[in-house]
Amino acid sequence: MSTTKLFLRGVADMRRFPLPQLCTLLTVCMVALLAGTGLLILHNVQTEVLRTQAQARFQIYWKVGADLTAVEAQWADLKRAPGIAEVSTFTPRAALSELMRGLAPRTSGGALTGAEGNASSGEDFSWLEGDNPLPATALVSFNIPPDEQPEPWMGRMYARLKGLDGVEQVTYNPTQLTLATGWIALVQKAAWPALGFFALVVGLVVGNTLKLMMLARKDEVEILSLVGARPWFIRAPLFANGVVQGLCGSLLSLVCLKFLQSWLRSVLDVPPLFLKVEFLPLWQSLALVLATTCVAGLASLIAARK
Amino acid sequence: MVHLEHVNLTLGGAQALKDVTLHVERGEFVFLTGPSGAGKTTLLRVLYGDLKPKSGAADVAGVDLMRLRGVQLPELRRKVAVVFQDFKVLPERTVFENIAIALEVRGVSSVSIDRRVRAVIRALDLEERSYAPCRELSGGEQQRVAIARSMVVNPELILADEPTGNLDSDLSRHLIELFKQFNTYGTTIIMATHNREVLSWAPEARQVHLVRGEIKPPPPGSPGSVLDTKPIIGGSL
Ligand SMILES: Nc1ncnc2c1ncn2[C@@H]1O[C@H](COP(=O)(O)OP(=O)(O)O)[C@@H](O)[C@H]1O
Ligand SMILES: [Mg+2]
Repeated sequence: MSTTKLFLRGVADMRRFPLPQLCTLLTVCMVALLAGTGLLILHNVQTEVLRTQAQARFQIYWKVGADLTAVEAQWADLKRAPGIAEVSTFTPRAALSELMRGLAPRTSGGALTGAEGNASSGEDFSWLEGDNPLPATALVSFNIPPDEQPEPWMGRMYARLKGLDGVEQVTYNPTQLTLATGWIALVQKAAWPALGFFALVVGLVVGNTLKLMMLARKDEVEILSLVGARPWFIRAPLFANGVVQGLCGSLLSLVCLKFLQSWLRSVLDVPPLFLKVEFLPLWQSLALVLATTCVAGLASLIAARK
Repeated sequence: MVHLEHVNLTLGGAQALKDVTLHVERGEFVFLTGPSGAGKTTLLRVLYGDLKPKSGAADVAGVDLMRLRGVQLPELRRKVAVVFQDFKVLPERTVFENIAIALEVRGVSSVSIDRRVRAVIRALDLEERSYAPCRELSGGEQQRVAIARSMVVNPELILADEPTGNLDSDLSRHLIELFKQFNTYGTTIIMATHNREVLSWAPEARQVHLVRGEIKPPPPGSPGSVLDTKPIIGGSL
């Protein structure tokens, strides 16, 4: 009997043991879903980290009382600078009104209506306008050029911004950057052990359930062996069974994962999170299916050993 | 066909076979007799490679049982067919499938399988049940399916372990006739039984008597006992 025929027989025989087959399928699906969820989290954290890592944010403070027309010219230059992602600027006046707006609800004490509170507190700070104590500021985000090392690049940009005329102080947060590089290193280190662990669990689960199923087919295996079947004749159908289980289980888990992702997206893509949970990239989905199928096939071969 | 020399075997700490020496030539019909627990099943299991002797020399159909490994077990089992008291047919599969399985494992073409299975089904009078699942069959019919499965491959040796144990007298007699007929075509048959009636239906067969794992002369008065002593002495020469 050809191997193809044996495989087909193994697949056809699956319907003879619907309950253990269903249990195996669900277990494989669940384990694969677990692994898929892990991948999904990893993938989304990774994209989020990469997105923030690729941008460098600087807060620039000009000296108090700096010439506003000169500062505005510098702003215009900044907006045209290469690699700029976002520029938010605040004149001292804008900064003050921003500040007042922020303070207003607290000073109104909640007793008055919002509109009245705003109007009255706006009045309260108006005396400052003549002698504004706030500096002109700008919040600039750059896309770090992909061929540059982020940290030295940020250092150089810091020096350039600091050297601008009339600039008092520049701040940026390099810790976010180290967090990102740390995260990537962690993922790279943890990925293989995690994958190995996943393979082990799938193998154990599929192997054990197939062993249970073989217990149900013990008589058949015994008779096959009695009439002189070679080991492959007995194992090939079981191997086919395991492969089909791995394939169906992992495909089913992808469907479940899609539902999970849609749900997470609807839950997390709201203010103030705005996290867009993406689905796994195609290659990762394929890798999940392939890995589960291979491990299930392998486990069935091992389980079929007497 | 079967050559055992001073075979010893322990099962669960107890000596199940003690210094068993047995030679069976091609074409012989041998009854393995003895009380229950004597070691008949154990001896048959040795002969189809299910148990390995602890010591001694054992050769069945040219296969050395003391060095049975890898592909030799399937090879042995393609030469030696086994029939059991509890039939060992697959209840969910049809009569045809149960018989065909023995040819399938040998890689026989499906055309040839079809022809040969039909032939034994006709010979064993199972034509009307060909496509019934075996669980719907009576005990006698199931045993005929098991025998058909062993006959369809034309084995050199058939081992039968109390094949009539679950059948009534008439069916048992019919079964023995089948085995005798098959034996006349040249197949060697070794059948374990503790049923004296069965022995009387094949008086020309040789008897090998087991008691507590040892081959002993058959008790006086049992059918065939007179015939029996000669081959045992002859065999040990
Ligand atoms: N798997 C086993 N483990 C331990 N002892 C066994 C096993 N099978 C059989 N025996 C013992 O071996 C002896 C022979 O058994 P068996 O060959 O089945 O006898 P028979 O077939 O003649 O009735 C008995 O004493 C039985 O209890
Ligand atoms: Mg017995």
